[in-house]
Amino acid sequence: MAGPGTLLALRSELDARWQSMLGVAGVLGLLAGWQLVAWTVAGGSFLLPTPVQTVRALGELASSGELWSDMLASVQRVGIGYGISLAIGIVFGVAIGSMAAAEAFFEPQFGLLRYIPASALTPLFLLWLGIDEPPKIALIVVGTVFYNILMVADVARSVPTTLINASYTLGANRRTILRRVVLPHSWPGIIDVARINLAAAWLMLVVAELLAAQEGLAFRIIRAQRFRQVDRMFALLLVFGAIGIVSDVVLRAVKKYGFPWARP
Amino acid sequence: MSTPKLRCVGVTKRFAGGRRSPGVLALDGIDLEVRQNELVCIVGASGCGKSTLLSIIGGLETATSGIVEVDGASVTGPGPDRGMVFQGYSLFPWKTVQENVRFGLELAGATTQEQQARTDELLAVVGLADFADSLPRELSGGMRQRVAIARALAPEPDVLLLDEPFGALDAQTKRSLQEFLLTIWQRTSATILMVTHDVDEAIYLSGRVYVLSSRPGRVAEEIEIPFGSSRGTHIKRDPRFLDLRDDIEEHLYTQMVEG
Ligand SMILES: Nc1ncnc2c1ncn2[C@@H]1O[C@H](COP(=O)(O)OP(=O)(O)O)[C@@H](O)[C@H]1O
Ligand SMILES: [Mg+2]
Repeated sequence: MAGPGTLLALRSELDARWQSMLGVAGVLGLLAGWQLVAWTVAGGSFLLPTPVQTVRALGELASSGELWSDMLASVQRVGIGYGISLAIGIVFGVAIGSMAAAEAFFEPQFGLLRYIPASALTPLFLLWLGIDEPPKIALIVVGTVFYNILMVADVARSVPTTLINASYTLGANRRTILRRVVLPHSWPGIIDVARINLAAAWLMLVVAELLAAQEGLAFRIIRAQRFRQVDRMFALLLVFGAIGIVSDVVLRAVKKYGFPWARP
Repeated sequence: MSTPKLRCVGVTKRFAGGRRSPGVLALDGIDLEVRQNELVCIVGASGCGKSTLLSIIGGLETATSGIVEVDGASVTGPGPDRGMVFQGYSLFPWKTVQENVRFGLELAGATTQEQQARTDELLAVVGLADFADSLPRELSGGMRQRVAIARALAPEPDVLLLDEPFGALDAQTKRSLQEFLLTIWQRTSATILMVTHDVDEAIYLSGRVYVLSSRPGRVAEEIEIPFGSSRGTHIKRDPRFLDLRDDIEEHLYTQMVEG
């Protein structure tokens, strides 16, 4: 049993039908387990709503329009903050990954800064930047930028030296090589980095909205807590999950179809 | 006597060692020349400094001392006057075959028409016109090396430098690429310096062979190959071919055993 060709074989391809069936089965299993726990352990208490109650709460949020404005506010913050973080990550990462001097100068400082928990900077940012959007954006940037830099640096480092040497012998200068060789070779890896660190951006968003906000998904969770609307809280958690899955799928698709040369 | 197309005088390379090690003397006073339209091979055991020498000539590494000249003018950095083909896989994987070939022409600032004409011409020469829009990953190893050669030839280099270009290929593909290189050489009257560890290949292809010794790399012998421009499998059965091969192989083997 469990040799090649069976369902549980190691490192072998699963056909597409099995793959999606297993995925759906997993999600249904999770929902069933949730429902079961809500019935048995929580015994119908409002503290642990069932999936059905959660979906109903989600429907209410959506039809009242709150959901959309909260989503827009949160997505916008993450979009701006994480966009800035990625842009900085690409510039510094490519420099560190391609130039020994940049590596020697920047890598130790970023390696150190990375270990300062960005959430610990929140009070400081509120003091410096007020309570509006700037501190929230700053928190998202600071919470992700060092990971982006160091991981993009690894991507740029993996550009084969032969490609760089070949470019030199074809008459390219350093700038041209960075722009036309290192960067194009790195794009698929950069997309992976962006996908992986996006979760950290949402984490920082929640920290920011918990402290000071007038709208946003995490802000709405706090509000729901105040009114003991646990079903709403669950609905909003589902929204976070859904946004995560959608961005993951989109970024994977961009990599797969935008860079067919990099497919395994 | 006209100036050689390419000349190395006393090229020496010492790699800096660590705190305690004295470093490696990879090349010690290499003198060599390649004349216009010549095809010259360098053979030597693995690790004797062949790639280092070619990188220095290509301007990708600096010599500790010594001079490299192209047409009598000394060169320091890399440049499109010396095209290079590498042993491993060196094509830009995101560029199609024709984009790879065109890259050097774009860098040289050729007009779009010039670029296209030259690219089409080269793809025809290397027999890959039908694969112009393929990605390198869709090609076999032999086809990829043909593209790499076309790409290196595109900016019309004075010298074409090849570092074990067929080393990773199977015997049949290697054979066909050797014929291909001879055809290219005759059709484009390129000046070619090629590094190989395959003694048969060196004798079969070149007019002259430099045999490098190991640790440090020195020119141990310079051998004139007596077949002129006549090439073809028959020369591989010529007694002179066999004698030369035995000599060189014996030499490299002694080197390896002693080293
Ligand atoms: N960057 C480097 N630093 C230190 N030693 C090197 C470096 N590159 C090559 N060497 C050494 O120089 C010698 C020649 O290497 P190489 O030119 O690659 O040989 P070949 O191409 O003939 O196999 C080897 O002993 C190798 O270990
Ligand atoms: Mg080598």
